[in-house]
Amino acid sequence: MSKRASLVAFIVAVIIQILILVAVPARKVFTRVTGKTVVLKVQPVDPYSILSGYYATLGFDISRVDAFQNARAMLQEYSEGDWVYAIVEQGDDGTWKPISLERELPANLPHNRAALLGRINRGAIRYGIEEFYIPEAQRVRIADDLSRNVDKARVDVKVDSAGHAALERLRIEDRVYE
Amino acid sequence: MTPDQNMSTKFRAALRNELAIWIQKGFVTDEAAKQLSSAYELDNLRHESTRLLSAVIFTIGGLLLGGGLISFVAANWELIPTPIKLALLFSALLGLHTAGFWLWHSKNWRRLGHALIFTGCLVFGANIGLIAQIFHISSNWYGGFGAWALGSLVMAWAVRSWIIGVLALATSFIWFIGFQSDHAQSPTAYPLILGIAVLPLAWIIRSRVLYAGTLLVIMVAACVLAGYHGSAAQLLFTMAAAGTFMWTLGELHRTSEQRMEFANITGGLGLGLLAFAAYVWSFHSLWSQFKFGPIRSWWAFVFFSLSIACSLLMWGRARQTQRLLTAGVLLAGGILCANSLLSAAAANESNGEFLFTLTTNMAALILAAIIIGVGLVDERRLAFWLGSLYLVLLVLSRFLEYETSLLVKSAAFLACGVTVIIAGISYENYLRRKARGIESGTGGSGHE
Repeated sequence: MSKRASLVAFIVAVIIQILILVAVPARKVFTRVTGKTVVLKVQPVDPYSILSGYYATLGFDISRVDAFQNARAMLQEYSEGDWVYAIVEQGDDGTWKPISLERELPANLPHNRAALLGRINRGAIRYGIEEFYIPEAQRVRIADDLSRNVDKARVDVKVDSAGHAALERLRIEDRVYE
Repeated sequence: MTPDQNMSTKFRAALRNELAIWIQKGFVTDEAAKQLSSAYELDNLRHESTRLLSAVIFTIGGLLLGGGLISFVAANWELIPTPIKLALLFSALLGLHTAGFWLWHSKNWRRLGHALIFTGCLVFGANIGLIAQIFHISSNWYGGFGAWALGSLVMAWAVRSWIIGVLALATSFIWFIGFQSDHAQSPTAYPLILGIAVLPLAWIIRSRVLYAGTLLVIMVAACVLAGYHGSAAQLLFTMAAAGTFMWTLGELHRTSEQRMEFANITGGLGLGLLAFAAYVWSFHSLWSQFKFGPIRSWWAFVFFSLSIACSLLMWGRARQTQRLLTAGVLLAGGILCANSLLSAAAANESNGEFLFTLTTNMAALILAAIIIGVGLVDERRLAFWLGSLYLVLLVLSRFLEYETSLLVKSAAFLACGVTVIIAGISYENYLRRKARGIESGTGGSGHE
């Protein structure tokens, strides 16, 4: 290869690497910028599996299929790996509660409702917000706080118009972890 | 520099030493020696060895410096705002790549530049993970490896680097295993994609490691595809066909004199894969306990067809010994393939176990003879000893597998030990006789 061709090939390769790095968080950034804030109550999780490496594994009301009103009918219709839209509604305490599961994204949802896109995975629904990165220095403290006060733990999630969710922060009483 | 010219330091250093002898003996004229010296840049060798030492020192220094900086940043990582974190990640990537390319092409510090670009590709992988952490991206763990493989592959092509190619190969294989274990649908095109995306690079840059590594990953991936959702027979068929293909491909390299440096490593890996498959399936319990369901893997048929094609292509130009060894490999591979196909056809019947075990053991013995034969023909000590040990392993495994008295077992161990010692002494004497024959001008090459 000539020097010029080498330079062009090298620049193209660097640009592709940068584009890949930009593409990794692109969806989450879009959701964070354009999405509506939904507060979800964290469900008790197995204390032995809270920490997985540097991640805390979170569960929510809406992770359980049977938390939705039409769960029984839907369970017969859905199978492993299927995509679903979980409709949630804002409750009096500020957290959002499960309402129903839908196959299609509903149009014209009222302001107090939102649709989250999830996938059936081993009997539960995963929305891509189940893993919260914990900084090494705070690892033990956050895990301990979460296991002691899981009923007071909330997460702020942004949900965009297509139903994609992005985890913003974890809150336990007045303590905020980002 | 023409694409086929061997510019490796090892070859050029040997050429420089030989050239002095050739001039002294009058094999080449001073003019021709000058032309060779110029074409192979032999005068640069001394500077290159100095540069190599400098490159090693600079790389170690750079890694220590990088480690110190990373530790400093990691210690304060949580205090750094997200935009600055992202700026640091992208700067590290761009800094390493730019410095590497500049040193390589502008300062002619090839090795140091190469090392920095390789480090840049490692940083690229780390950046994928760190960005996923910053944005709390909860996705399939293997997805990041897929992205890493893609970015590394593009860079490997751009700078013609074997080590970055190996990085792309390794990360893509991790992605493949993750995807395979997480999806009902297998990525069956993965071996084909590797063949198209990586093998030509290995060919162009004449990298034996990348070439053999890619072939190995292709074969292993095909075996994983066959074994994961398939039956034991499907796995055996794929392993046998893949091993036979790699051997015949290696022999094709040798006879066609195209990239001859790939011949030994490719054939050796094929022989190793065949010997491994034959040993595993040489146990009777495997044939009697496992269900051998239908064969659905089309990769095994692809390898099988390619083995036939390579054999036909190499046969006409092959020497007698090459034909003999290849015929042996085809026979052993054929026995293993036939056993797997017949066992799949007779899945619900149990009367073929003894025959399958017996013929598989025969195939293993043939392979042991071929490996020892390669050691004798090519005068390769490692092949001779591996073949001898493989033979001993087969014999001992049979004695331990079946109920025999301690006295018989003891006799078998003693016989194996004595045979290995006698074989070793005979082999060393054989090599010495050949060496003496060559020195006195009466001996020939092992291939003849």
